[in-house]
Amino acid sequence: MRYSGLLLIPLAWGHVLIQDILVGVHSIDLDYVALRWASLGWRIYDFFLLSFAFAHGVNGLRQVLNDYISRDSTRRKSTWVLFGFWLVLSLIGAIAIIGGVRAP
Amino acid sequence: METLKLNLAGLTRYNGREGQVSFILHRLSGLGTLLFLAVHILDTSNVYFFPSLYRHAIDLYRSTPFMLGEIMLIFLVIYHGVNGVRISIFDLFAPDRWNIHTQRKSAKWTFGISILLWLPAAYIMGRSLLTHNFG
Repeated sequence: MRYSGLLLIPLAWGHVLIQDILVGVHSIDLDYVALRWASLGWRIYDFFLLSFAFAHGVNGLRQVLNDYISRDSTRRKSTWVLFGFWLVLSLIGAIAIIGGVRAP
Repeated sequence: METLKLNLAGLTRYNGREGQVSFILHRLSGLGTLLFLAVHILDTSNVYFFPSLYRHAIDLYRSTPFMLGEIMLIFLVIYHGVNGVRISIFDLFAPDRWNIHTQRKSAKWTFGISILLWLPAAYIMGRSLLTHNFG
């Protein structure tokens, strides 16, 4: 958690600074995403952000849940559910980043 | 269920002051950001899976309630990061300074630094909200 967290400070803050503050949601559309993903560097950036941020978040949720779940079998079950949740959404995101923007 | 009740009751009854507040804020900011992140992965994936739906997602994000939420989200991300750095610094470099006095002081500093970092962002985004949605 610690090292992914430290890595997320430049990754997530950089993403927020550029997309939310400097560019803004009113300037974001399909063309903007296509333009940004035209450079491999930003695709790699987004891929790193996806992998580290979502794993960090789901692992955090697992730790929070384990504070409220005391039975071992329930903990195991919730961990597997979270693992599935992490895997499915990570795959969806990764496929989108690799596949890129398609024409509507 | 009993543990959950006990924990929730503890949150309100236990008077842990700055340390407890920063613990709760760290959790809530983390969980809130995770909730948004999960939605955000799905909406952005539309550019590949259902490109025609992406417009609708963006239109939703451009609405006033979502832009206000976005401004809040920026604070959560900033606070979670600054507080994480605070915890990391004490754990990695000054574990002997985990005492009530230092923690109360550093928890307040964390909150102050987060607000300072957030204000310019909130100003820029608030201006964008006013010009686009009320201009």
